Amino acid sequence: MSLERTKPLLLPLAALLVFELWIRLAHLQSDSLAPPSAVLAALVAALADLSIPIATRDTLLAAFAGLAIGSVIGLALGIAFGISRVLDRLMEVTIEAIRPIPSIALLPIALIALGFGYRMEIVIVAFACVWPMLILSRTAVRGIEPRLMEVSRALRLTPVQRIIKIIIPAALPRIFVAFRLSAGIALIVAVTVEIAINPLGLGAGIMLAQQALRPDLMLAYLVWIGAIGYGLNLVLIVVQHRLFGRAATAGAGS
Amino acid sequence: MKRQLARLAITLGISLQMACALADAAAAQAKIQIGCTATSDCASAMVAVDEGIFRKHGLDVEMTPIAINSNIPAAIMSNSIQIGGPTSTVFLQAVDGGLDLVGIAGASVMNPTSNNAITAFVRNGITINEPKDFVGKKVGAPGLNAFLHVLFVKWLVEKGVDPKSVKFVEVTFPTMADIIKSGGVDAVLTAEPFVTRMTNAGLGSVGARYAVELARTDPIIFYAASREWAEKNAAIVTKFRDAIAEAAVIVNSDREKASASIAKFTKQPLDLVKATPPNQSEPRLKPENLAWWIEVMSSQKMLQSKLDTSKLVLN
Repeated sequence: MSLERTKPLLLPLAALLVFELWIRLAHLQSDSLAPPSAVLAALVAALADLSIPIATRDTLLAAFAGLAIGSVIGLALGIAFGISRVLDRLMEVTIEAIRPIPSIALLPIALIALGFGYRMEIVIVAFACVWPMLILSRTAVRGIEPRLMEVSRALRLTPVQRIIKIIIPAALPRIFVAFRLSAGIALIVAVTVEIAINPLGLGAGIMLAQQALRPDLMLAYLVWIGAIGYGLNLVLIVVQHRLFGRAATAGAGS
Repeated sequence: MKRQLARLAITLGISLQMACALADAAAAQAKIQIGCTATSDCASAMVAVDEGIFRKHGLDVEMTPIAINSNIPAAIMSNSIQIGGPTSTVFLQAVDGGLDLVGIAGASVMNPTSNNAITAFVRNGITINEPKDFVGKKVGAPGLNAFLHVLFVKWLVEKGVDPKSVKFVEVTFPTMADIIKSGGVDAVLTAEPFVTRMTNAGLGSVGARYAVELARTDPIIFYAASREWAEKNAAIVTKFRDAIAEAAVIVNSDREKASASIAKFTKQPLDLVKATPPNQSEPRLKPENLAWWIEVMSSQKMLQSKLDTSKLVLN
């Protein structure tokens, strides 16, 4: 069992070892590459001096706040468009005109309007998170078993009751898949905003380390961001299975 | 399912509240924020923070590192920072573009030492004997239309070489050594400590010391603010100028203290900072200091309007 578990790690570990040896033997002097041992040392040091934990807090705060706002807006619009074909058709041009704008392209305007800080980052992340939520929840609502809707009509539920008692519960597994997708996007966008402009969080840490000619620290941030993304996805998968059980896999599969 | 929904709603609600609280915290700003890139140009502000000179003058100042110099004007306009250290070229282009910025104090100026540190570093296998050898070459500049690029183009023009015959690409400082090594560009416009590092690594040689030949003493970076803020806070600006003047003396005379402050702000290793003399600090900024830049940038068609130097610097 233990060998089975370690097997997938063998290749990356061997690659790291080869890389380490190559850098050491070739006496590589680079401002953008560093041996894995130096990266690990820099990671431990930056964790110990709290610079990485503080940056992680900043990035995750902005990413989660943006994710929450974007998800709520996307979900509300998605449900509305899923229920009402007329509304969907009316808004189609507007939505399809705004949706393709890369969220990062809003940075120059966001900087002038909102300035550095959490606010700008949250707005950009929220903008990026609205779309997957909107589109997937719209599809999820449309995909609800028609008989459920008939039942709701037979029970003479008000529109609000229909949304809360029938639509959201029936579409929830798929909505959660959309949420998982958005969570990944939120982290990517948050770090990108920090790399490009915002002087806080992990992205800014990468830039500062690069400009300080500390490739070891820069790569340490990179490794850490990878670990956070991996951890976040893992947590969401566990939550998904705990919340929805077998419905989760059904939702994810469709 | 209801409980799950309630849980989800609570989580989202908490996140929203946190976001709002953070936004409020960001809005309430009491300190003066100074935004600079990770170079030695704003050394006077770094020293003034570290040595308590700002505090002595009654100013509560914090320095914000900014990744790209051309972001500084927008950061000032959004009041994220009240004072920034743009390069002369970034400042003039921003004002030309309609942003109402004013210079309030000098930071760094070109002098024989800093000019000597600026070079066009050429990769192995390329020989540059005279300016026209750059014709047809691919040259990496840390920023197109930024400080070093504008200087180099000015030098080419003075030497009778058409700048259009040289292909310019953007190469950031930290990636220069690797790109020169891989042959991705023929030369890079760079400065110390990169020149020494690349020379020691045997990656190439100095092709031209164009800043030495231009022999200018104009400002590289100076402290700027929005006109509105500067006029409203005239007393703060006066205190800021006094503090910067005091700190500039330290930057120019005490390498130990200056290096320590620069290393602290830029996070560069102290040995690396000590190896390069910081750019000359010149706290006074006069309107006429910008005239040469305006002339050079106009001749390179980087400015659309005619800028009035007397309006560019706060009295």
